[in-house]
This record gives sequence, structure tokens and C-alpha cells, in this order.
Amino acid sequence: MISDITLGYSILLLPLITFVVNGLFLGNKCAKAAAIFAVVCNGLAFAAAGALAFIYFSDFAPQATSLFDHTFIPFVGGLVARIGMLIDPLSVMMLVVVTFISFMVNIYSIGYMREDRAAGRFFALLSLFSFSMLGLVVATNLFQMFIFWELVGVSSYLLIGFWYHKPSAVSASKQAFILTRFADSFFLLGIVLVSYVVGSFDFSTLNSLSLVDFQKQFINLGLVTISKSEALVLGSILIFTGGWGKSAMFPMHIWLPNAMEGPTPVSSIIHSATMVVAGVYLVARLFPFFAICDNALTLIMWVGAFTMVFAAVIACTQKDIKRILAYSTLSQLGYMMFALGACKIGLVVAVTGWTASTFHIFTHAFFKCSLFLIAGSLIHQVHTNDLDAMGGLGKKMKLTYVCTLISILAISGIPPFSGFFSKDEIILAAFQGQHYVVFGLALFTSGLTTFYMFRLFFLAFHGEPRHEGVKAGHVHEDFAMTLPIVILAIPALLSGVLGKGIFEEFFVPGQLNVPQLMKLEHAEWLPFVAVGIAVIALVIAWVLYASPWAKVQRALDETNRSGIYKIVYHKFYFDEMYYAVVRQFIFGGIARAARAFNDYVIEGLLAFTVWFVHKLGDLVRLAQAGYLPFYLGTLIVGVLLWRFFGQLPL
Amino acid sequence: MFNIPNFILPDVLLLIFPFIVIGMRLFVTTRSQLPWRLANIGFIAIFILLNLIPFSGGAERIFISNWKVDDFGVLMREVLIVSALLGMWLSKDYFEHGADKKPQMHQIAEFIGAIAFATFGGFTVVSACDLLTFFLGLEIATIPMYALAAWNKRDQYGSEAATKYILMGSVATAFELFGFSYLYGFSGSLHFSEIQAAVASGSSPLLWIAVLFLFCGIGFKLTLFPFYTWAPDVYEGAPTPVTAVLSVTSKATAIAFLVVLVYGPLSPIQDKMAPLIALLAGVTLFVGNLGALKQSRLRRFMAYSSIAQAGYIMVALLGPATTAKTAIIYYLFVYAVSNYLAFFVFSIIGHHREETFQSLRGLSKQNPSLAIALAISMFSLAGIPPLAGFFGKFHLFFSGASTGHYTLVAFAVLNNVIALFYYLQLIKAAWVDEPDGHLTPLRLTKRQREVVILLSIAVIFLGFVPFLSNNIFAGFTN
Repeated sequence: MISDITLGYSILLLPLITFVVNGLFLGNKCAKAAAIFAVVCNGLAFAAAGALAFIYFSDFAPQATSLFDHTFIPFVGGLVARIGMLIDPLSVMMLVVVTFISFMVNIYSIGYMREDRAAGRFFALLSLFSFSMLGLVVATNLFQMFIFWELVGVSSYLLIGFWYHKPSAVSASKQAFILTRFADSFFLLGIVLVSYVVGSFDFSTLNSLSLVDFQKQFINLGLVTISKSEALVLGSILIFTGGWGKSAMFPMHIWLPNAMEGPTPVSSIIHSATMVVAGVYLVARLFPFFAICDNALTLIMWVGAFTMVFAAVIACTQKDIKRILAYSTLSQLGYMMFALGACKIGLVVAVTGWTASTFHIFTHAFFKCSLFLIAGSLIHQVHTNDLDAMGGLGKKMKLTYVCTLISILAISGIPPFSGFFSKDEIILAAFQGQHYVVFGLALFTSGLTTFYMFRLFFLAFHGEPRHEGVKAGHVHEDFAMTLPIVILAIPALLSGVLGKGIFEEFFVPGQLNVPQLMKLEHAEWLPFVAVGIAVIALVIAWVLYASPWAKVQRALDETNRSGIYKIVYHKFYFDEMYYAVVRQFIFGGIARAARAFNDYVIEGLLAFTVWFVHKLGDLVRLAQAGYLPFYLGTLIVGVLLWRFFGQLPL
Repeated sequence: MFNIPNFILPDVLLLIFPFIVIGMRLFVTTRSQLPWRLANIGFIAIFILLNLIPFSGGAERIFISNWKVDDFGVLMREVLIVSALLGMWLSKDYFEHGADKKPQMHQIAEFIGAIAFATFGGFTVVSACDLLTFFLGLEIATIPMYALAAWNKRDQYGSEAATKYILMGSVATAFELFGFSYLYGFSGSLHFSEIQAAVASGSSPLLWIAVLFLFCGIGFKLTLFPFYTWAPDVYEGAPTPVTAVLSVTSKATAIAFLVVLVYGPLSPIQDKMAPLIALLAGVTLFVGNLGALKQSRLRRFMAYSSIAQAGYIMVALLGPATTAKTAIIYYLFVYAVSNYLAFFVFSIIGHHREETFQSLRGLSKQNPSLAIALAISMFSLAGIPPLAGFFGKFHLFFSGASTGHYTLVAFAVLNNVIALFYYLQLIKAAWVDEPDGHLTPLRLTKRQREVVILLSIAVIFLGFVPFLSNNIFAGFTN
């Protein structure tokens, strides 16, 4: 019988081994062998995760334990950084999702990267990516999480810039890295502050704090002296900022749509199981900690809600299918984020939002991964991301067509597809939490979601073919690429029905130090309203893009449009705003001043120090002339020297 | 038969087998590989036997009332054996053909014997319970080194170096003896425990004169300022494998001597010796770093580098016993591995070219794996995470800081910047500078390749598993 510890190690180590073997040995020599090795190892990791989940849910659930826990670096003052593997319902669920998605994406990449000469490197990096995410998911403490958090950042950088000969890919990877690093620096500050105040990195300690203990103690932060409880609230917001950037919440969202420059399997894994989910996972993991820090949850809710609407509006106008999907991810992440934030009802915390959010992470992973893989398939046929060149693909790609429909119905929240159940719970949480504005926004966005997804669907699959190759019938479905799409359609269809009710048991009880509410009454009318809105949106999309009286050519033409449409189409000019700020303010202002200071003050001091040290070095070499009498003399001098300067009590 | 306890077996074996190796020369031809193979088996067997000795958890194991084998002693023995084994492997090629403009060496059996005796001297130092054994151990460790330094009889630079070494060494030995005699005069006993009791009951100028001369005497072997002057000349003049053995075995023996002294008989006055130790450490590492700045010959460069390393090790002596011993042992392992890796790379270069910075030019293009090994060892010596050297230095500084010597630790850390500068110069030569067409190409023998790979992995591994040190020194934690 394989023990759960063996399973735990193999889940983590198999992707790492794949990375090392493919990166060092197989990658350069035989891309095909690298691909097969990656698929086998990731498949085994998924099998191990499945087995672990089975053991866990039949024996332990919902208790939190750690499979192993090693001391990594013992710091001064009792602070210990540990490396461990935390097992609770949330992390087990994530392990299954990440390994499954990674397995699917690896299979898909066999087909997608077939022509690419650097495929070996690709498979190595893909495994590094899932290893980093797995390490993050099982982290037992903030320190370990930060290590893997950064590893996730590095591997995403390497993968987004995988086609480094394309300038756009290079700049997109840099943008993603710099923006998330910018947010991570706040995260690090938060870790330092919180671990300083609490004296521990461990999630178990942080999640069982009580602010009352800290109100009477004060710490000095250099400029101001604040009470420790205030410091914790500040720390919680700083930590959330890390997730803010990683999950690409407004206004740090711009890197995510640009990250489309990477190969499509990378986009698929980034958007469904790794990277962007990390931010939501962080908040979910530290939820009891955020819950006691007063304003943190409110901030999280508003950031999430705003991103949700904002991204959905932009998605309605885009023509690049990967970009539409990217904005839809932003919007869905907004759902997850605000659901976590909407838990607070006055002084009571309702766990429903937490449940709904983790549920949505679960269902979203499958249909979003599937949608991206489908997008990759379509792009493979028409060699462009543009909806202009698609249309009429449904007739040629029957399997893909059906799977797309399933995923799109799932994301639109139409029963009985998976997205309906999780989204329903999220909207319910907002309603029950008496956050009526957010509740309204969520309903409105769910309509927008249906609209832009069906817009994509109709424009890509219906109507007349607009691409010469498609017209000529050069369309086929690649086996390696279609297989994962078909497999993913199954959880996209069923994960909602099966998962419903299970996630309510997920919350490890006894963690919250505030009054809590485990379950709320369901509002009977809510699903009808939500589905009604979705159906209306669907009909509007059909009328505009697929009905006999739709003007597809005109719909695709963005030149002849009103002002508001143009602003939305250009994503509210956020990219341009960023560039302006960076160029004018940072490069032109701060950087120039810093440069001048560096050139005249630092360089001068440095030059002097270097000169001085070199002169001293010459002195030492001068003494080394090779004369034995001199050397013997130094012995005597040495004794006298230390006699007088050694501070001996002689 | 004799009733010999297990823990003494490695020492007995080390005492006996060099005689067999040397004696065997009477019965085999000069070309025979038999002594070499036997020596390998002997050293490896000793290493395995040492690893079989369980931690005593602080309890002392005494053999015939005068030979102590404690946990620190066992770990020091392991360091010394590792150093001897690596030194022997390094020397093998020098008995097959000459290198670095020096003729081929002869009489490998005696060479190995000398290394083994020096190692046994180190064993004696860490086992001593009284001043006499202690002094004998130090001399047994030193005298073979004089012979080793002059192993190339026809090389005039080697002879000059050995002359300087032996003359200065004699003076240092005189200092030692002088110090010992005062210590005896102060306490009225040769035995450590009685000296410790006398020191604890009160100090007098007699004791402090002893301390002064003991530190100055050992300062010669440990290359502390200003007693290091022999080191650059001897490191440069002696054959390369001897230089490597000198820089590790000799230094490890000397630091073990200080550890035994400072945490044994002199432990009651450790806090009063702290200013002297701190000064010695600070000045030595500063001067060593300054000296290394503008060198062009590789071994001379390594001499200054190891002078600076001695200064870093001294920092640990300021800490409490357990922390300091742990840090020093861990660092000696790391230092031995990194240093030998560097010397292996240099010797491979030396077999085909001169041992200068010039010869490293363009190494990354001609022989990338060797350039990587060089970079690993230099980064480790410079203390760059996550390589072993970083954690080694971290432990040393931690030990110094744990008794509040923050100024010295800050100074040592600042000095690391200078160190990084000169270590990077080597890496720059290997990685950035364009290759020189006149350089003869390098060829690695099978042994050289294997050892370089082994040591590179060791440096990386020791660094990536920093918590290993906690496990190694589990025995110290009481």
C-alpha cells in the first residue's frame, strides 16, 4: 500500500523531475521523448493527486494536517521558516485541479508544439510552472508560499516570453514580470510586518489570531508608532496586494491580456489553474486572518467587484479571441475575489462566500482551460487570433463545436452546466451579505458574460467562412489537441452538479475568531432571475451576430463607431496610461534624478573607495618582497603588536 | 588479544597503514600502482570507520586515560581524512608528469605517507588531554608539511619556499613551547582539566603571556596577520597538491588547536580573550582580502584567499562553544570541498599551461564544464547563496554575532564585497575574456573529471540542503 506521504512527495517531485530531465537531458536532443516523458510524469502526478484526494476525503476530511514539515531556515528569535506540505480540503482540491489541468495541457501541447523546434524547453518549463504552483498550494506558511509564489512568477515569465524572437512576446513577459513583482514587493513587506508582529509565518497561527490580544501593544515603524492590531490590518492589506497583482485585479490587470503572447497552452494553464488563481488562493488560504482584519475584506470585495464589471465590458468589444477569453478570466477572477470579500455581514462572517469562491475556482478551471485549448485549436486552423478571419468553423469541427458550447454554457451560468452552480452561490453570497450594489453588478456582469461569450461563439463557429483556408476546406481536428478538449468537457458539464454541497463541508471549522455563519438560506427566486438575465443576453447575442438579420461585417468593423465604443475597445486606454506614467513620470522624473545622484555622488564615493582599497592592496603586496629576515621580523613585530593592541590584561 | 575499543580503530589504522604503504616499496617496482591503491583503500576505510562511530552526546570517550575521542574530534577527523584523500587524488597526476614548469615528482608512497602522518598529527591535536600530547600532535602535523613543501628537490623555488617555511615554522614552534611552559608554570600541571581549574580560579600576567605566545605561535600556522608572510611564497613555491593540502589540512589542524584551547583549558577566560580574537580575525581577513586584489598567479591568489578565509573562521571563535564548533566544522567541510575544487581546476590548467589568470581566458568556450566548476567553487568561496559557502559563512557570522560582536560581523560582511571582487575576476577571466589562441588545449583524465563532478555536486548539495547542518551536528546540541 502506498502511503500518503509517498503520494505527497510524488505529486511535488514528478513535475520537478520532468523539469530537470527535460531541461538538462531530453529537451535539446529529442523533443518527442521530452513530450512523452512530460505527459507520463504529469499523468502520474495527477494519479497520485487523485489517490491522495481519495484517501484524504475518506479518512481525514475536513481536518488540516501536514504530510511533512521540515525546518528550512531557523531565524533569530524563534522565527522558523519551514518547508512542509499542508493538506486540507482546499489544498487537496487544488492539487487535483492543478495536476489534472497540467496533464491535459501537456497532452494538448504534443499537438500544439509539434512544429516548434524548442518544444523540449517548452515541456521543461511547463512542468516547472506546475511544480511551482503545487508548491505554493501546499505551503504551510507565508515564507514557503512566497518562495513558490516567486517561482510561479519566474516560470510564467519564461513561458510568456517563450517565443523570445517576437518583440511583443518579450515585452509582454517583461510587463507581466515587472507588474507582478511590483505587487510582490508589497506582499514581501506584508510578510515581514506580519511575521514581526505575530512571530510566526505559519498559516495555522495566523488563521487563529485574535486582534484583541494585540490592541494594547505598540510597535515603532520608523515614522509612526501604531498598535500591533493596526499593524496587522496594514499587513493584511499589503499581503492582499500581492494577490491583487498576481490575480491581475484592476488596475494591475493590464499584464494578463498582453500575456496572450505566449503559446496558447501556456495561456490555458495560466488562466485556469496556476498564476492568476494564486492570488485568489492566497486570500482563501488566509481567509480567517483577513476576516479579523476589519477593512481588508471590504477592500477585497470592491477590488473584485470592480474588476468583474470592468473586464466584462471590455470583453464585449474585443476581436482577438484570446483577448476576449483573457478579459473573461479577469471578470471571473473578480467574481471569486469579491465573493471572498462579501463574507462580512456586520460583525458576523458568513462562510458561504468562501465556499462559493473555492467552488468557482474549481469549476472555472475546467471550462476556462477548455476554452483556451479550443481557442488554440481555432488559431491553429486559421493562423490568426482575429475573429475577422473565423466564422463557419462549426461545420468542419463538430467535436470542438460541441465542447465549446458546453464550456460557454458553463461560463454563462446556465443550468445544468457547472458554472451555474458556483456562480449562483457567489451571487447569493453577495445578496445574503446585504451588499446590494455588488449583488446588482454581479447579476449585470453575468448577463455581459453570456453576451460576449456567445458573441465569440457565433462569430467563430456560425455564419459564412471568412478565411480562405476554411472556405477551401483545409480544416481538421488534431487528435492530440482534441482529446483534452473532449475530456475537459466532461468536468465542465458535471463538476457543478457533483461539487454542489461538497464545498460547504470544506471550511475547516474552529478557525475563525469572529462569530460565524456556516450556511445561509437559499433565495428561491434567485436562480430564475440569473438564468433569465443570461437567456436575454443570449438572445441579444444571437440577434446581433447569428440571426438571419445580423450584420456580421458591420459588427466586426470597429472603425465606424461611437466614442464610447472606441474607448471600451481600446480598453479604456489603460495600457497607454501606464506607458505615459512610466515614460513621463518614472523614466523622465524619478529615474533622471536618481541617475544624477548616482553619477555624481554614489559613483564618486565608489571610485574613491575602490582607489583607496587598491592602494591598501599595493601596500600589502609591497610587504611581500620575499626577504626572509623581514618575514622573521614580522613574527617579533606581531607579538609586540598584539601585546599592546590585543587588550590583554597584562 | 588487545582490548581495543571501536572508536580508536580509525586512529590505529591511520597509524599503521602508511608504514605498510611505504614499506611495500621494498617489494614492488617503482611503477607499481599497488601503494597508491592500498592508500586509497586505507583512507576510505578510515573514513567509513569514522562515520560508524555514533555520536556520544557530549560524553567523553577516553582511551588509556590520555586519548579523548569526542564528537568534535570525530568530525574533525572526518574533515582531515577528506582533505587527505582529496590531496592524494590531486597529487596523483603530478607523479605521472610535471606541471606548471616544475619537473615530475617521484616517490608517491612516501608522499602519501607524509600526508597520512600530517593527518595523524591533526588527529592527535583533537584527541589530546594534556599539553605534551597536544604539542606533539601539532609537531607531527607540521614536520611532514616541511618535507612536502620541498618534495620537488630539483625545483629551486620549491627549496626556497621550504627553507622559509621551516625557518619561520621553527620560530613559531618556539613561541608555542614558550607559551606552553608559561601555562605550565601558571597552573603547575600539564593536564587540561587541571589547567582549566587553575585558569578558572584566577588569572595572572603569567597566564596572559602564555595566551599571547600561543596565539602568535598558532597564528603562523593559521596564517593570521602578521604571521602569514610565509604563506604566499610557500603556496607559490610548493607543488600544487602540497599547496592544496597546506591550505586545508594544515589550516584545519591549526583551527582545531585553537578550538581545543579556547573551549577547553582557556574557556574560563574566553570573554577576556574576545578582543584579541576579534582583532586577529578582523585584521587578518582585511589584509588577506587586500592582498588577493591584484594577483596574477593562481596559487598566490589562493594563498591570500585562504588567509582571508582564516580570518572568517576566527570570527566563529567568539561564539559559545556549541555554536562555534558547529559553525567551524560545517565551514571546514564547505571550505575543504570548495578549495579542493578550485585546486583541481587549477591543476588541470597547470598540467597544460602556466598557473596564471591569463591561462583561464576563454575557458568557458574551450571547456564549459570546467568553467562551470570553477564558477561554482569561486562563488562558494565568495559566499554566494545558495552555494555551500554562503551557509558556511552564515554559520560563522552567526556564531560571532550570538555573543554580540556585531561590529566585527558587519566588518566581515563588508569585506566580503572585496572578496567578491577578486573571486569575480577569476570568473571574468574564464567567462568574459576572449580566448587566447596560443593556449594549449586542456585534456581531463578520467579521475580528474570524476572528482571535479563529485566536488561540484558536493558544493551545490551542501548549499541546497542548509538544514543538513542541523542533522550533522545533532550530537552537539546538548
